[in-house]
Amino acid sequence: MSGKVRKLTELAVLTAVSLIIFVVELQIPNPFPIPGIKLGLANIVTVYAVYHYKAHEVAAMVAVRLILGAVFTGNFMALLYSASGAFLCLVGMLILRRFIDEKHLWMASVFGAVLHNTGQMAAALLVTQTVQLLLYYPFLLVSGCLAGAFTGLCAQLVTARLNRNKENKE
Amino acid sequence: MKKKGFLAVIIIIFLLGIAGSAVVLLMPSKSHVRITSGGKEVYTADLSAAEDTFFDVPYQGHVNTVEIKDHKIRVKDADCPDQTCVRMGWLNSSAAPIVCLPHKLVIEFTDGEDVDAVTR
Repeated sequence: MSGKVRKLTELAVLTAVSLIIFVVELQIPNPFPIPGIKLGLANIVTVYAVYHYKAHEVAAMVAVRLILGAVFTGNFMALLYSASGAFLCLVGMLILRRFIDEKHLWMASVFGAVLHNTGQMAAALLVTQTVQLLLYYPFLLVSGCLAGAFTGLCAQLVTARLNRNKENKE
Repeated sequence: MKKKGFLAVIIIIFLLGIAGSAVVLLMPSKSHVRITSGGKEVYTADLSAAEDTFFDVPYQGHVNTVEIKDHKIRVKDADCPDQTCVRMGWLNSSAAPIVCLPHKLVIEFTDGEDVDAVTR
């Protein structure tokens, strides 16, 4: 397989996997009825991709995930919030990957999650013009740290397995 | 060494979040509420004097049904996909407002100045 096709296929598979995780997570009832709080399991794939693909490849993958995710949920308003969150998160993590090595992936993930929540909050503030929304920000910070650490640790496990697989094949 | 710096930042963010959450949760609830829809104020009330009622707040063809009962207020029903505002329950015990992001609806406590419509 030529390198280009291979890349495309890998990215498509990753997108599909993250979309599946996203849809499955929708079925899990969220115990915290606060807008913007969720585990974000689909970001396990994002975190993994940030450390294994080029910036524009990750961005394309996340963009497709977001749009198709909105199609599946039928919630296009949410797309605005998640897209601004994802944008900030991606920019932050793509910078952080220069400073944080793969063994400490979970730290990058925590920053990513917190940045994601920050972007969401900024979008929500702009859209609703309600400063009181900021009262939710502390909750988002706590949940971002926890959810980010969790997805980051999952991504670390996935990375370790995938790397081992690759070594075995070669 | 660098990693410790990042870890410290994470811990600081986390602690700030917890401290902030505690502050928000400890804020007392007030009796005046305001409902804004799409950035415009559509309803205000003094909950301590309000009668039990419910009414619809329309937004671009969508509806949130707001209920006032026993001097508390909540979103009883919404036709948005995520239902977060409904599951947030009654507006009480903290200063955090009820929001329905898809419909840009906010129910929040106010200081109660110039409340012109005690009942609708």
